[in-house]
Amino acid sequence: MRRQIARRRTLLLAGVGAAVAVVVLSLAPGLGGNPSVIASPLVGRAAPDFTLPQLDGPAVTLSKLRGQVVVINFWASWCAECQVEQAALNQVWQHFQDSGVVVIGVNFEDTSGGARGYVRTAGVTYPVVEDTGSRTALAYGLRGVPETFVVNRSGHIGGHVIGPVDVARLTRQISSMLQASA
Amino acid sequence: MTAAGTLRRARTGLPGLLVMMALAAGLATLAVVAVRGHPPVGQAQQVQQIAAGLHCPVCKDLSVADSPAPLAQQMREEIAQKLGAGESAAQIRAGFVAAYGDTVLMSPPGHGVAGAAYYLPVIVLAAGLIAVFTLLRRWLRTPQPEPASAGSRPVTVSQRRALAKAVARLREEEHR
Repeated sequence: MRRQIARRRTLLLAGVGAAVAVVVLSLAPGLGGNPSVIASPLVGRAAPDFTLPQLDGPAVTLSKLRGQVVVINFWASWCAECQVEQAALNQVWQHFQDSGVVVIGVNFEDTSGGARGYVRTAGVTYPVVEDTGSRTALAYGLRGVPETFVVNRSGHIGGHVIGPVDVARLTRQISSMLQASA
Repeated sequence: MTAAGTLRRARTGLPGLLVMMALAAGLATLAVVAVRGHPPVGQAQQVQQIAAGLHCPVCKDLSVADSPAPLAQQMREEIAQKLGAGESAAQIRAGFVAAYGDTVLMSPPGHGVAGAAYYLPVIVLAAGLIAVFTLLRRWLRTPQPEPASAGSRPVTVSQRRALAKAVARLREEEHR
């Protein structure tokens, strides 16, 4: 009788222990990493296409740039962190513009006047488009600015940066995409 | 029937009755909800309903329905446009999940690790109910020891003889 009770207790404890282990193991992966940075589910998938008007120039269609590496940078003139990364974007554009790389600045929740003023003072020479209605921002799952997506030559998103980009990281991503498709 | 037996019956019958009543009440509530369902809603309400189920991506702990942020406003407009184009609520939600991931949903999805939020309470509830029924059954079946009373058991002939012998022996010892 005593043996039976002891066996039952052991079984019960093992069951409770197994249940706790299952819960802990299933939740453990969520404890690692930076909780403020959420990976985009778009990485590895086809970049959502868009046709947007340039601030001063013809409309830009993403699908027409297939075969080139495209850096899509969402920004706004009121965004302080966008100013932080501006030098890096200018540098990358100057370095890669003749190597099959296009940088597109997508202006987000801004005024045309504000955007034009920023482009002039920050020395932006790559194409800048206006996302009136934020449809493209929503298609890219934007959570704020700046955010940057790097699209490879086959039109798939290969890189995603939340916050300001740095020259080294962006150069590494672009170079690997150019080498992969060369 | 003895007084103790009556008391035991009353004691074991009451919890069983309470459990049955609780179960009946729960089933009745479920039946009412299932029969009534949801009344038909207009498009504006539908937009609100879908927006209420989505996290505003640029806010902290606010739904798209509650957020005053311009991006949330754009999301509400996009929901209205998609509803107008004939998309279902599930298709619209799936579109936002494709761009933002499951984190855009206010309620966790019913699959993967997040699905535990739905099936774990059901498992715990089922385990609890099984435990309650098992204990209740055991309690009802366990024979309660009756208090010993004089006339409750007939004395056998051999017992009478043994008793008579013991009494006779005691008397003999007294006379000595």
